[in-house]
Amino acid sequence: MKFAYLLSGGSPVIKKYKASAAQAIGTIVLRSAADDPGQFTTSTTGGFGNSLGLCVDNGIASGAPLTYSTTQGADEAVFGIVVNPDAVLRAKMVTGATGTSITADTVATPVSNGLTVVGGTSVASPDMDEGVIWFTSGSNVGKSRKITSTSSVTATVKVPFPYASAVGDTFCYAGVNIGLTGVTTTTDLKNIRADLAVTTGGAATVIDLELGPATDSWVHLVLADQVFTMST
Amino acid sequence: MSHVLIKKEWTRDSILAAHEAGGRKRGRAAGGWIDDIAAQKKVITLCPLCTGKFNPGRVNYRKEKEFPFCVAKCDGCSITDPKCSMYIYDELYTQVRSTAEERREWARRQQEGIRRGSL
Repeated sequence: MKFAYLLSGGSPVIKKYKASAAQAIGTIVLRSAADDPGQFTTSTTGGFGNSLGLCVDNGIASGAPLTYSTTQGADEAVFGIVVNPDAVLRAKMVTGATGTSITADTVATPVSNGLTVVGGTSVASPDMDEGVIWFTSGSNVGKSRKITSTSSVTATVKVPFPYASAVGDTFCYAGVNIGLTGVTTTTDLKNIRADLAVTTGGAATVIDLELGPATDSWVHLVLADQVFTMST
Repeated sequence: MSHVLIKKEWTRDSILAAHEAGGRKRGRAAGGWIDDIAAQKKVITLCPLCTGKFNPGRVNYRKEKEFPFCVAKCDGCSITDPKCSMYIYDELYTQVRSTAEERREWARRQQEGIRRGSL
């Protein structure tokens, strides 16, 4: 996960906070709980509640991981955090807990009116309804639509794709969409899973999508439960 | 014995400052402290007065240019300054920063893919 820009167009605010445990670069960190040893703690794959921001530091000292330590004289585990509540984070869309390419499906049944896309993998379980679907080859290459309903291997859209789909056209789909809150990260907390139903997971809201090939599609997020918004 | 109670007006800035790590210890030379941070490959933030004294290339750091300023506590003089410069360890830069140039390159690849007929 990378810091991309700010909604307000201002300057990033970098704070250096004390960690409660080993911390990975490019991950969302949370306000520490009561009795935690440090000031922030690690997020979970589906939990960004009371988030502080994005960790932009690497926990390495002299080539060895720098971890939280209670040993007197050890390096204090302090990390730089971008704390702006309106920071936009860019993360790659992936599939599965460990993060492989998103599903690249192929049209199995041609549809002339462009209102449905019939592929070979299920879009109903997990349900991609309200997510997004886009073509990566064929006449509709580069065109995307919001999914309005699903049934087995068929995704339905209300604004038709401009051209008829043909057997063999490739397309991708994702369980994320603009303005929807709830995403799930991979276990390394760096990428966003597109294979889960929309609004599944932690409190982050999608602000933009970069829809490309299965290996190179991205989502832009804003943290939806950030402690410095003063709402939590 | 009497006590005088003074109400403290907490602001968002003062709450942030209260949580922030202390930084350079008293009596510690700024150059040595920044060398230590650089050895840990951490983000370095320097105010306009200190930034000229730091050579990022010598320690494989990269200056953040898309955001000319960031609000941070200077690692050199420990002053919170709204016009600090941000330095990120070069090898880690692409892990934490998505620049407009990176996104521009992505868009160019998509356009080429669409022209070819396949993303």
